[in-house]
Amino acid sequence: MNRKLMMTCVALVVALALGVTAAIAGTVRGGSDPGITDNSILLGGTAPLTGPASQYASVARGAEAYFKYLNATKGGINGRKITYKYADDAYNPAQSVPVTRQLVEQDKVFAIFNSLGTAHNVAVRPYLNAMKVPQLFVASGATTWGRDYAQYPYTIGFQPSYQAEGWVYGKYLSRTAPGAKVAVLFQNDDYGKDLLGGLKRGLQRSKVKVIAAQPYEVTSPDVASQIAKLKASGADTLAIFATPTFAIQAFQFANKLGWKPKHVINNAVASASTSMQIASSAGQNKLVNGTISIQFLKDPTDPKWKNDPAMKLYRTIMKKFAPSANVADPLHVYGMAAAWTASDALKKAGKDLTRESLRKTLDTFTATGNPFMLPGIAVKTAGKDHYPVEQMLLQKWQNNSWNSFGGLWGYRAS
Amino acid sequence: MSRATIRTLAAFATLAVVVAALPAFVNDFRAQQFAYVGVYLVALTGLNILTGYTGQISLGHGAFMAIGGYTTSILMIDHGVKDVATIPFALVVAGVAGVLFGLPAARLSGLYLALATFGIALATPALIKKFEGFTGGGAGVNLFGTPELTASLTPVRFLGLELNFNNWLYYLCWTVALVGYVVAWLILRGRTGRAFRAVRDSETAAVSSGISLTRTKVLAFGISAAYAGAAGSLFAITTTFVNPDTFPVTLSIFLLVGVVVSGLGSLKGLVAGAIFIQFMPLWSQHVSKSPGAPAVVYGTVLILLILVLPGGASGLIARLQHLTRR
Repeated sequence: MNRKLMMTCVALVVALALGVTAAIAGTVRGGSDPGITDNSILLGGTAPLTGPASQYASVARGAEAYFKYLNATKGGINGRKITYKYADDAYNPAQSVPVTRQLVEQDKVFAIFNSLGTAHNVAVRPYLNAMKVPQLFVASGATTWGRDYAQYPYTIGFQPSYQAEGWVYGKYLSRTAPGAKVAVLFQNDDYGKDLLGGLKRGLQRSKVKVIAAQPYEVTSPDVASQIAKLKASGADTLAIFATPTFAIQAFQFANKLGWKPKHVINNAVASASTSMQIASSAGQNKLVNGTISIQFLKDPTDPKWKNDPAMKLYRTIMKKFAPSANVADPLHVYGMAAAWTASDALKKAGKDLTRESLRKTLDTFTATGNPFMLPGIAVKTAGKDHYPVEQMLLQKWQNNSWNSFGGLWGYRAS
Repeated sequence: MSRATIRTLAAFATLAVVVAALPAFVNDFRAQQFAYVGVYLVALTGLNILTGYTGQISLGHGAFMAIGGYTTSILMIDHGVKDVATIPFALVVAGVAGVLFGLPAARLSGLYLALATFGIALATPALIKKFEGFTGGGAGVNLFGTPELTASLTPVRFLGLELNFNNWLYYLCWTVALVGYVVAWLILRGRTGRAFRAVRDSETAAVSSGISLTRTKVLAFGISAAYAGAAGSLFAITTTFVNPDTFPVTLSIFLLVGVVVSGLGSLKGLVAGAIFIQFMPLWSQHVSKSPGAPAVVYGTVLILLILVLPGGASGLIARLQHLTRR
C-alpha cells in the first residue's frame, strides 16, 4: 500500500512537472498579432487527410508546395517565410471546430487559409470572426461567403459561387438555345439549390424555361427514378447539378432510357476529366459528348497548356516540393491558385502586417495575372461585392477532353 | 466498509484531485482537448456497461450521442433553454430511445446485435437530413454566440470563481464524467451489476437463477444510451455546432475501439480509452501526413495494443496492482 501511494505521488509529480513546462512554453511571444514575426508568417487550415473525402487533401498539398517554393526561391513575402500548417478534420465538421481552435489558440496561427468544405467552414466562421482571425479563401463554392460578408467580415471565399455558375449556364442557354425546355437534376442541399437558383436567374426574361426539377438526397442509392421523371417531362435539355458519382449515374440512366437531350450541362464539381471519362463508358455513351461545363483554373491534363510557362512551373514545383503527389490531379492547381492569391494579398497588406490590415486589404482587392487561373480571370472584391472570383470560361467535352470556348463570362452578385 | 471499497474510493478521490488540478498546469487549449476526453469518458462508461458488463456489442452508440446532441441543440435554439439545463433532457431522451431500441434488440445476440446497432449508426445521419425543418438538415445548427450558450470565448463566473472559456468546458464535462463514473460504479457493484454480468457470462445460467433476460438487456441498453445522450449533449456544447456529419458511423466504431482499449468489463481503464480516442488521431497525424499514413499509424498502434494488452488498460492496471501487492 505504501509503495502504491509512493507511485501515485511520483506519477502526480511527473504529470504536474510536464504540465508546468508546457504552460511556460505557451507564453513566450508578445508583440503584435499572433503567428507573425519579422521573418515568418504562420497560416493554418483544415483538410480531409483521412475519411471519405480524402482525395480533396490534394488542395492543401498543392498550396503547401507553392508556399515552400516561394520560401525557397523568393525568401517568402516581404522577407517573411510562410509556414502552412494544415491538420486533418476527416471531413467531419465536429472535428474542424476543435482542430481550428487548436490552430488558433495552441499553434497561434496568423490566419486560417483555404480550409475545405462548406459545413466545415460554416461551423468555425462565428468563432473565427469573434476572435478576429481572417478566414481566407474558403475552399467551397457556397454563396454564403460573399452574401453574409457584412456579418462575418473576416471571412472570404474563393472560387466562383455555385449561384454564379448556374447563372452562366442560364445565360448561355438563353443565348444559344432559345425555346429550350430544361430539366434539372439537383442535390437537395445548399450546393444543388444554389446552382438551380443561379440557373433560373440566368434564364429570366428569356425564351428558355425550366420545366422540371428533380431533387435527390446524397444518401440515396441512385437517381434512376429522377432521370425517368425528367425524361417524361419532355425536356430537350438536361442540367446535372450533382456530385461525381450521381452525375455519372445520370449520364448512364439517361442513355439507358434512350433519352437524347440536345444539350447537357454538368456542373464544375462533377466534371473532372476522370469522371467524364467514366461517364462516357469508353466512348459508348454518346450523350456525354458535347456536355457543357465551366472552368476557371488551368487543367494539368489539358494538352493546350503543355508548353504554358505557368503549368511548367506547376510541374517543377510539384516535382520538387511534393514529389509523391500525382501531378495530373487538378486539385493541386486549385491549391496553388489559392496560395498564389494569398501570397499576393499578404504582400499588398504591407510590411506592417496585421490581421486588421489584411482584412482591409481584402476589402478592396484586385489581383490579376494569377498564372494558375485561366488567362484574364481576376480576383476582385470591392464595396459590397465580396465574391473574389466571378469570371469563368465555358468548356465543351469533345474527343475525350475538355475544350474551352468563347470569352470570359462575368457575374455580378448584386 | 471493506478494504476494496476504501481502495476504490481512495483511487477515485485521487482521480478527482488530479482532474480538478489539471487546468492550472496545462495551457488553455489543452484544457479544451481534455474536455473532450471527459465527453468520451461519459460515452465509454455507458458503452462499457452494455458491452463490457452485459456482453451486448453495440456499433451504434454514435447514434445515441446524436440524439443527445440534437436534443440539446434544438432545446437551446428553438426553446431558449440554457445549455447546462438541456443535459438532463438529452439524457432522458436518449435513454428512452435506448429502451425502445433495446426491446426488439434484446432478442438478438452476438453478431446479429452488432449488425442491428450498426444499422442505426448508418441510418441516423440520413434521418437527421430527412427532417430538415426540425433538425436544420445538412447545414446544421450553430450554437456559437447564442445567449443560451453559457460561454462563447467569454469568461464564466461560477461559485465565485472566474473561469476562462476552455476551463469552464473542461470542468463542466469532467463534473458530468465523474458523477457518471460514480453512478456506474454504484450500479455495477450491486444486484443489477451482478445480473448484467450473469447475462454476459451465460444466458442459460442467468435465466435459471431467476434473472429476466429481456428486462436486464433492455435496462442495460437504456442506461448505456442515457450515458451516450449526456455525452452527445456535452459534445454539442463543447463543439458549439452539430450537423449530420458530426455523428458519423466512424464515431460509433471509435467508441467501441475506446472501450476495448480501456478493457472490457472494468471501469479502471476508461480514462485511458477516452484519452486514446481523443489524442491517438492527432498523434498519428503528427508522425506523418502523407496520404493514408495517419490511418496506417492508427491501425498499427491499435493492433499492437490489442496484442500486447489484450485486457486493455484495465488489464495493465490489474497486472501492476498484482506486482505492487506482492
